[in-house]
Formats: sequence, C-alpha cells, structure tokens
Amino acid sequence: MRLLVVEDEAKTGDYLRQGLVEAGFVVDLARDGLDGLHLGQTGDYDLAILDVMLPRLNGWQVLAGLRQAGREMPVLFLTARDQVEDRVRGLELGADDYLVKPFAFAELLARVRTLLRRGSRAQEPQQMRAADLELDLLRRRVSRGGRHIDLTAKEFALLELLLRRQGEVLPRSLIASQVWDMNFDSDTNVIEVAVRRLRAKVDDGFETKLIRTVRGMGYVLDAAGA
Amino acid sequence: MRRTASISARLTLLFAAVATSILLVLGLLVGNEVERHFVEQDMEVLDGKNHLIGHLLEQYRSPADLPMLVRQLGDSLVGHHGLAAVLIDGAGRRVFATPGAAFPEAMLLGDGADGRPRTWMQDGLPWRGVASRLPTAGGQPAEMRVALAVDISHHERFMASFRRTLWLFVAFAALLAGVLGWVVVRRGLAPLQAMRRDAAAVTADRLDLRLALDDVPAELAELAATLNEMLARLEDSFGRLRDFSSDRAHELRTPVSNLMTETQVALSRARSPEEYREILGSNAEEFERMARMIGDMLFLAQADHGLLVPTREPVDLAAQVRELFDFFDALAEEKGLRLALEGGGSVTGDTLMLRRALANLIANAIRHSVRDSRVEVRIGAAGGGTLLAIENRGEPVPAQHLSRIFDRFHRVDPSRSRDDEGAGLGLAITRSIVRAHGGEITARALPDGMRFEILLA
Repeated sequence: MRLLVVEDEAKTGDYLRQGLVEAGFVVDLARDGLDGLHLGQTGDYDLAILDVMLPRLNGWQVLAGLRQAGREMPVLFLTARDQVEDRVRGLELGADDYLVKPFAFAELLARVRTLLRRGSRAQEPQQMRAADLELDLLRRRVSRGGRHIDLTAKEFALLELLLRRQGEVLPRSLIASQVWDMNFDSDTNVIEVAVRRLRAKVDDGFETKLIRTVRGMGYVLDAAGA
Repeated sequence: MRRTASISARLTLLFAAVATSILLVLGLLVGNEVERHFVEQDMEVLDGKNHLIGHLLEQYRSPADLPMLVRQLGDSLVGHHGLAAVLIDGAGRRVFATPGAAFPEAMLLGDGADGRPRTWMQDGLPWRGVASRLPTAGGQPAEMRVALAVDISHHERFMASFRRTLWLFVAFAALLAGVLGWVVVRRGLAPLQAMRRDAAAVTADRLDLRLALDDVPAELAELAATLNEMLARLEDSFGRLRDFSSDRAHELRTPVSNLMTETQVALSRARSPEEYREILGSNAEEFERMARMIGDMLFLAQADHGLLVPTREPVDLAAQVRELFDFFDALAEEKGLRLALEGGGSVTGDTLMLRRALANLIANAIRHSVRDSRVEVRIGAAGGGTLLAIENRGEPVPAQHLSRIFDRFHRVDPSRSRDDEGAGLGLAITRSIVRAHGGEITARALPDGMRFEILLA
C-alpha cells in the first residue's frame, strides 16, 4: 500500500512517515502543497493524508487539484482547528475523514486502515478466529479451545472489533466510537474496564493471552500472544 | 453623539422659567386690578359730577333758567383741576363748557351720549370721560347732554412706574431663582460627584471597592446599591477568570513537568528496551491526557465565543441515556452501582453534543458514588420543557463549592489527584452545551448525595 503524506511541519512529517513505514506502508512525503499535488497527480497512491494549512497550496486546493486530475483515492485531512466550517468544507470537497491535531498516532493508523479497507470489504467472514479462539458472527457465539464463552452484546462487539483488526493496536477512542458509538473523548477509564472484563472472560485460564494492552496506545488482539 | 445639557443647567433654567412665569402672571393680575381700581375711582368722580349736574338740571324749567344754571355749573365745576365738562342743549348748542374742555367729536354728537366711559389723549394728556343724557325739570328742552372728563395722567404715571418696578422685580427674581436653583442643584448632586469619585477609584486590582451608601439621597441610594451589586458580580467573574487562568497554567504545567522529569531521568543513563517502552508508554498516556485537555479547552473557548451552534434535530433523551448506561455499564458494575432510568422525553437539539453533556454528568455521578448504590436518571415534562434529573449517593458537595461546581478546573478538594477526577472540565463542558441549547443546569446537594438537573426547551 502506497500512501502520500503532505505535511509542512518537519517533525510531524518525519514521524508520520516513520510510523506509517513501520506499519508496513510505502510512504512519500511532500513538504508543501504544490509538491504534494504534483506527486499525487503523477504517482499512484492508495490514500493521501493532507494537512490543511500548507505553504503554496493549502490542503483544500490540493484535494481539489487531485479530484480534478481524476484521482479518486481516499483523503484524510489533518487539521489544527476544529471548526465546523472546516469539516463542512472538507466534506464538500470530497474528503473522506479528518483528524484534529493533536491526535494519537494509533488513531491515525486505525483510520487509515479503515479507509483502505473500505470498498474492498466484499466477502464478510462469518467466522473469525485467532489461535484457539473462535467467533461465529451468525450464531453470535464465542468459544475458546472448544469451550463456550458467555459474552454480553457489547463484549461480543468489542471482541469482534479486536478480531476483525487482529494485530492492529486499537486506541481507546476508536473502540468507544466503533463499539458504543461514543464519538468523544471521555475522562473515564471505561474502555480499560470493559477490556479488562472481556480479557477476564477470554484469556483467564489460558496459557496464551490474546488481548494485550499496549501502553499509551491502546489494545491489540494478537494470536502470537505476548 | 447628541450632547445633552447638564442637569444643573437644565434645572437652573427650569427654576428661572417657572419663577419668571409665576411672577409675570402675578404682576399682570395685580396690574390689572390696580388699573381697574383707578378706572372705578375715575368713574366715581365722574358719576359724582354727573349727579350734581343732574341735580342742577332738575331745577331747569325753561331757557329763562339758563343763566342761573350756567352760574351754578361754573361755581361747582370751574376751578376743579383736571376736570372738563360740556353741557349741550336740545338744539346742539354748547350751553356751558369748562375752560379748555376738549372732547372727541363723537362724544358730543347725539348718539355719542351713551353713558359708556372712554379714554383719549388731548394735548399730550390722557383723559377719561363719559357722555350721557340728563333730564331737565321742564320740557324746554326735555333733556340735555353732558360730557364729563377727568385728567388721568397721574394714574397713568403711577401705572407706568408700577409696571417698570414689576419688570425689574420679575427680572431680578428670575435671576435669583436661577442662582438659588443652581446652588440647590449643585448641592443636591454633590453625592453624584462623590459617587463618581468612588467609581473612578475602581480598577481591575481594586474591584473590592464599593460606592458609599451613607449620605446618599434616597433617589441615588438605589442606583448606588445596584452599581454595587454590579461590582460584586464583576468581582466574582473576574475572580473566576483569574482562578481559571492560573488553574489552566497549573493544569498544563503539571503534566509537562512530569513528562520532562520522566524523560530526563530516563535519558540520564542507558536502559533496557523494556524500560524505554515503559517510559514512552507512560509519556504517551500523559500526552493523551494533555491533548484531551486542550481539546476540551478549545471546545469551551468556542462556547465562550458563541461559536457552539447546535444542530436542531429531535433527540430522544431516554434512548441517549440508555445508550450511555450501556457505555458506562462496565464502570458501574466495577463499583457495584445500579444505573436506573425513569420516564422519558424528547427535546430538539444536537444529538452528539447532548450525548456528550449527559455522558459527563453520568461519569461524574459514577465517579462520586459510594459503592453498591444507585445512580438514578429521571426524565419528565416540567415548566414547558423537559427536565432531566440525575442523582447519585455519595458525599454532597459543600455549599461554598456548589456555585462553582461548573467552573473550569474547579475541584471541590484541590488535593485530589487528577486521575481520580479527570481534568475538571467535564461539568463546564456540560453547562456550555446545555446553555448553547438555551437550557439551564443546576446542582443541588442532597443529604446523602448530589442531584443535577437539566431543563431543556
């Protein structure tokens, strides 16, 4: 997967590139809007990450230029200002998502993966597994090592999310948004508690611990264990 | 800007105008009365002479009596200074006239003798006179016409001098009233000057100053009291703002100082990858908290500037609360809490914002609940709107903190840790959202807990 990142702030750009490369993407980084537009028009990218405030051409103009050139890749905006009109403008111009700075890198990664997965989610698996954990979407049943695990509806949804995105570190905010539809940051440790309870049901008594906490990042379900 | 005359000037003018008008009217009345009195006096004299002549005419029988009559008239009329008389017989002849007597022609004609008083000028002197018909004793002729007049120049002189005195007096009185009015007004407004001086001393540093209320007239006392209340409100708001600024600096300084110390200690010697991971993870958590706080502060700043514009869509409050209960379920269960919902109702507003507001309230209730108690939400119609009340069992907030519970960063117990209570912005955000929806939020301490109420239209 090839990503285009247009970010003028030097440190931010470097870290974004490093983080995304380490997450397995091929990344081209442009430092201003004009270079970014040029890269986007000539190269073949699966996704573009655009800062709104850019020298020479701003993010909106880059996006408009890309769309004019017939480039239909998903675009994620990074903005320092959380203004309603910015969002509206971005959506009108065909942005697919936006993140307000400062954001968690795990959040960015999760969103990027969500955008890339969009459209290519043709065959929905009916069963998901990790090591000896099995989740049956149709029958809404979970078992591990052949033993049935009783989960509440939200615990089921949480486990489904972790399984669907195995190996990805999911930040708390993404979990709150995907499982509970809560799209705001909460001061509480409600996600921690929910994950802890799910882990007690899924991992307690098993040699291999599937659900892991990545400190400062979020949670990951990994068949390799920790 | 329209320039308005000073109160002193306006009141001074008013006093002078009122005094002048009253004195003028009074002067005119007195003047008229005196003049009427003079006319009466003149008429009395003329009537007296008329009677006398009438009396003499009663003894006139024929022209043979004429010399006798003329002599008698001469005796009684001639030599009276300032009196003029003319007697005319039936044939229109002047039978008798005092020396120098001069009358307007009209008075001496037949139909001029109508008994009405007249005034005129003759040789520069004012006269008042009357002409009438008087019967004689005989038929030769049966009646004669008499014209009588008195010189009224001494009355006119008096009136002229009276009027002059009156005008002078009125002018002087008006001036006096103005000056006195000005003095009284200045003295009356002196407390206003004092208030101005008091007010001038109030600055941002000295918001504790108040206007003096003693020695202030009743009319101004109310104004001064109201201004003092305004000052009290300003002082309160200003204090909050000051607290907020220092709180904000403090809130940001603590995590930054933690991060700096932690990072510098970590860098002070080589460590294992696990240790580095631990430190970076801890840093990331701290950063996340700061990012959240900054986000919340920006949200509140937007609200302060009226930039928080909620969308308007029907929101089922009960459904929102149920979803939030679902979200907080794990947290509540950890503390053995039961989340209970009663009633229901819909409002018009922004689903996302209202959900955030309610989430903060519920999180707050859970945070401050004692173990194994209930958090109760009741929704119902009240006062033309919808009332949502949330109650929890726990330590009630002391009365002195109740009014500031919605302030940014305000904590009932400043020593309590941040982990325990969040950033202290939750309730402030809730209030901003409720206000942006045109609603009101209140907090009440119960004997064994707290109750928050949101009233939405």
